[in-house]
Parts: sequence; structure tokens; C-alpha cells
Amino acid sequence: MHLAISLDIAAATREAVLDFSRISKFVLQAEAAGVDMVAISDSADGPSSSPFEATTLLAALATVTNRIGLVASASTIAHQPYNLARRFASLDIISHGRAGWNATMAQSAGEAANFSRPEGFSDADFRRRSEEYIGIVQGLWQGWDADALLFDKSGGRFHDPEKMHLLDHKGEFFSVRGPLNVARSPQDTPVLVLSGLSEPDLDNAARTADVIFMDSGSVESTKIRFDDLKRRVAARGRDPDAVKMLATVPLAADETPTTVADRLETQFRAKSCDGFDIRLPARHPALDDFAERVLPELRRRGLVRETYRGATLRAHLGLAGGGDQ
Amino acid sequence: MTARMKLGAFLWATGHHIAAWRHPKAHVTAGVDIDHYIQLARTAEAAKFDMIFCEDAAGLREANVGIASQTSRSIGFEPISLLSALAVQTSRIGLVSTASTSYNEPYGLARTFLSLDHLSGGRAGWNLVTSASPIEAANFGSTGLKPHADRYERAREFAEVVTGLWHGNAPGHDGQSFSVHDPLDLPRSPQGAPVMVQAGASDVGRDLAARTADVVFTAAQTFEEAKAFYDDLKGRMAAYGREPDDIKIMPGVSPVVAQTEAEAREKHEELQELIPDDVGVALLSSYLSISDLWRHPIDGPLPELPESEGMKSRQALVVEQSRRDGLSIRQLARHFAGARGHWRIVGTAAQVADELQARFEGGAADGFNVMPSYFPGELDAFATLVVPELQRRGLFRRDYEGRTLRDHLGLKRPA
Repeated sequence: MHLAISLDIAAATREAVLDFSRISKFVLQAEAAGVDMVAISDSADGPSSSPFEATTLLAALATVTNRIGLVASASTIAHQPYNLARRFASLDIISHGRAGWNATMAQSAGEAANFSRPEGFSDADFRRRSEEYIGIVQGLWQGWDADALLFDKSGGRFHDPEKMHLLDHKGEFFSVRGPLNVARSPQDTPVLVLSGLSEPDLDNAARTADVIFMDSGSVESTKIRFDDLKRRVAARGRDPDAVKMLATVPLAADETPTTVADRLETQFRAKSCDGFDIRLPARHPALDDFAERVLPELRRRGLVRETYRGATLRAHLGLAGGGDQ
Repeated sequence: MTARMKLGAFLWATGHHIAAWRHPKAHVTAGVDIDHYIQLARTAEAAKFDMIFCEDAAGLREANVGIASQTSRSIGFEPISLLSALAVQTSRIGLVSTASTSYNEPYGLARTFLSLDHLSGGRAGWNLVTSASPIEAANFGSTGLKPHADRYERAREFAEVVTGLWHGNAPGHDGQSFSVHDPLDLPRSPQGAPVMVQAGASDVGRDLAARTADVVFTAAQTFEEAKAFYDDLKGRMAAYGREPDDIKIMPGVSPVVAQTEAEAREKHEELQELIPDDVGVALLSSYLSISDLWRHPIDGPLPELPESEGMKSRQALVVEQSRRDGLSIRQLARHFAGARGHWRIVGTAAQVADELQARFEGGAADGFNVMPSYFPGELDAFATLVVPELQRRGLFRRDYEGRTLRDHLGLKRPA
């Protein structure tokens, strides 16, 4: 069972929100508990669930943690694809291969108005644009081969020019030549997390995503969507296990650890997901409950690994490579 | 108390010298090693530098892949993520990053820098640049460069929106290039607003700086050039209702320092010898915004150059230097490759301090952006040899007096 914790920092006490040391203690506690990753949501319109812009917070967290995966949301409206690909490639090197990008497929109504596009995009345009955008970002992440850097001082060869590749993308919304001016990721490419999916997004998600956050309903309805998605992944020629579907579950305050563990176990054993995206306010009592009571119970039942086995986020998630491209 | 000079530590790749990465003591994996940068930041902070400074380009530096592969500048950290990481690994030093107004949006940039400012407790600054490189343009769907004036008009509007957002205004901005609906969702900066840095030295660039900048980073080879720039820029400020002291002018300086002058010269020569001719000429070509410099005899003079839409001020500087000193293309290439058109001083700590003191006290600089030729060796040398000499002379602080970058720079906190 894979576990992500989505931090809802703004739900914590107001005075805590701009306190990096409190956020970092929280993430260190999640790391000590051995969860695969924390996800920091972000929105540039109206009240955000992160007081810090998520990529800046992720960079800071990367230097104070060692093992836990770090995923930040970043909007396809707020960034040019080259800039976004570059930011996350850099975060991935700072974190030694623990970074991921959470791209939402749902257009935020207010955001475009802050980014010089008051008219926004039609749903169809936004979808085609997002698909093109993700293709560019994943392409840019593969612009440098893993062995491109030679560091050969005496021979005067810093890198092998044959191992640096132009993207030369020319599409409907963007044209991007590349390559990035950041080296290849220590985990091949940063992890691509997709969220906010609706039905027409599923094929593209099946083709490109490493992780999908999906709202959870009943066990039956979640399983139907899970099976559908895995079929689509296989239809794209990918190993169904190359995409991890995590069901988003908010934790209710009145649930006992045993009830929570029972609920997660039932969903997981029904093969309706690969794990869970646990929504938590960034308050210690909430994490204490989960880390010190729910997780040990899940471990006792053999559902969650005891500790980190690898060093990168891809290793935690049991993912190879960077998608099928 | 006499005025103290301001010092920036300009961190770039393996060093500012084009052949830095080949130096036996250069940290060649700098571009993929965050611990190296954390160490550099701590060195600069222990030496009480005002700030760390990072440049930026959204693309490769060199279009010719053969040339690019002989330099270390094709890969490195993206500076916002780098400085955000350094923000929580340091406690006092300022953190300034370059970001272009050409390929960003003001709302996103204002929010990102304000976030860095909060992460660092009020130590962030933004170096505003406009992008002139066709290599960058090709990563953003642009087929041709915008004319110089258009780039600056966009930059002026961009800076106005960013400043408004930092000051907590609900913008409702609907301008020529940008529209922004909401205020930022962050509280005001711990230092009032992040520090605004600018580097453009053309006429329109100077006006923009006089109007909006807190710090100006510039390139000047001689005292006269530095003084003329300093007086001109400070003279433009009154028109915008600002005091001369509201801007700190910090020319770049690339010192090569050692215990003896002979040792310093030897160190410098060692680096110069490592520059391949084709790399030097290519670098010079890019500063001159011309692509066919390699067609001209390398031991002959610089050819006549057409007006370009690229970096006007830098071009003028190179041409003037070549004519003044009667330099061949090879000589000029080596000279510029080393310090990138910035001022270079080779000598002992006392000699370097003498030169800095002369410009500082002569009214040609408020401080300097120090561009070590290779890392970590030359930053260490400046920190351990030159800084103590400047402190002995009462020209530089022995400890930080305040907490924020504005405190260090002696800048007013914006209302």
C-alpha cells in the first residue's frame, strides 16, 4: 500500500502557516513514519492551501529531509512549460531524486485572470493545452542522457554533445526547442502526479502519469474506475503497475485508528487502488494520530512496508523509468 | 561611522572564468551538487557578505553544441529553487536571483519571490532582466526577438505590477502586456518588500533603474567608466522623487587574489591557459551579438559591427576596450572570457583592497558584486584574505547589524 500525505497547511492554526520550522517538523515526522511522499498543494487564486508558493517550500524541505518524496502542485496557467520543467528538474537534483510535480487537469476559474488571460480557456482548449504541456515537460526532462556529463578536465570535455537532445516541439499552443539547462534527474525524471481528472483526461493520464490522485467513493465505484484506468494503461502498452492510483481520503476527526485502518484495508484488499492520498491539516495532533496509531496498525496487518527501501521517490513507489516515452 | 561598502557573492556554475571547471581545484560537479552551494553560501555568510547573487537564463548559453560541451555552463540549478534551498540553510545573508520579465508573468514572479522572502525572513531580492538571447526565445514559442524598446516597455509594466503586489495593493491591473485581478495571498514581506535589483546599462535601462531599483549591478572596466555610470544613474533619480542613496550601485569585480602578487598572476595565467581559442571567440561573439566572428583572423583586429537588438551597453564596452588597447580577437576573447567583461584585479589582498577602496571612496561604487574565477577556491580566498583587509580599513562590516537584506544594504523600508 502506497501512502501520500497531502498537507493542508492553511487548515492549521493561522499563526503557524508562515513558520517553516513547524512545517518542516511536520514533514520530518511523516518521514519518520515512512510514508512515500508529502504533497503540497498550491493555488495562485484566492486562499491557497499553502502559504508558501509550493516549489519554493519544496526546495527548502528537500534540504532538511533525506528520504521522503516531495511533491508540489504547479499550475499550467501560472508557468511556461520550459520554466516549470526546469524548476522541477532542479528540485529533483536538490532532493537527490525525491521530487514530483502534481499537475491538475481541472482549470481554476480565477487563476487565468491573474496571468493575463482574463478570458481563460474553454474546457476543450484547456485539455488539449494541458496534454501538450505535459508532453513538453516530460520531453524536456529527458533531454540529457544520464551519462551525458563527462567532467573531463584534462580532455576539456564537460559533456558529450551526442547525449544532449533538442526537443524541437512545435504544437498548437507551444513551441519549445530545448534542451533544459539542468542535468538529468537522479531518478530518471521527476514523478508526474495527475489530479483533478475527468473522464476525457483518462487516456492521456494512462499514457503519461506515474501517480494519479483520484477521489474515493464507495469501494465498488472506486474499483470500477481503478480497473478502467488500469485497462487504459495496458492499452497504451504500459505495465498496469507503472501507474499508481491513490485514492484521496480525508481523515475525519471522530474516527478511531482501528476504524481508519479497517476502512483503508477494505478498500485496498478489494483492489480498488494502489494506496491512499491522506488529506491532513498540517497540525501535529492529526499527524500524531495517523503516524503513531493508524500506521502501526496497518503495518501490523502487513499492508505497509516497514521502512524506506530505496533512496528516490520512484523507488518508494516501485516505479521504473519515466513513463513510456 | 564611515560608510561601509556592500558586497555580493555572485555564485555561478564552477566559476566566472570560462575555463574555471578545468582548474584542478575547481569543484567540477557544482551544477549537480547542492551541498557545494550550501557550503559556498555559508562561506559567504561567515564573511558577512550582504548577499548571494545568482544569474539566470532560460536556455543554453551557447548555440554551438561543440563549444557548449567545452564549458560547464549548459547545466546547473534553477536559481529560485536553489535560493529557496539555501534560505533555510543560512540565517543572515541576502538571497538575490535574476529572473526575466520576458518569459514570466508578474503575478507568479511576485508571489514566488515573496514566498522566498518569507522563507528567508526578509532576505530576498529580484534582479530584473529582459531577455535578449535567441536561444531563450526559442524555448518560449518566439520566432524573433522583440526590439529593445518593447522589451523595456514590458519590463516597466512588469516591475510596476510586481511592486504593487508586494505593497499589498489590490491591483485590478489591465495593461498593455499584463492583466492581474487579485492581490497576493501572502502577508507583507518582513522587509517591506523584496529588494529590486537591476543590471541593464542602456539609456532606457538606466531610466527604469532610476525609477524602480534598490540595487544596480553593472560592468565597468575603468574608474572613469564606473564613475560616469554612477553619476549618470544617481543624477536620474531626482526626476522620480528619489534620493541618491536609495540605490546602491555595485559593479562586478573578478579578483584573483593570493599571498603574493607573483602567485596571483601565476594563478590567473594558469586559468587563461585553459581557455580553448574556439570557446573564447564564441563567448566574445555572444557578447557582441554577432555569429560570424570566427570567420575573421583570430590575430587580427575586431571587425566593424552592425547595430544589434541584443545587449547594447555590453557591446559598446567591448568595442571601446578593443580599440583603446589595440587588442586582437584572440587577446580580446581571452580577456573577456576570463571576467565576462567585468573588472578584473589580480594581486594581493592589499592590492585588491586598494583598488576597491579607490572606487568606493572616489564615488564610483557603493559596493561590489564579487565574481570569483572558480569555486570554491577564489571565494575562499576573497573571504579569508580580502574581507579581513577591508574590515581592518573600516570599509566593511565585522558583523551583520540587522536581519533583513534591506537592513544590510542600508535601504529604506518601503511604506
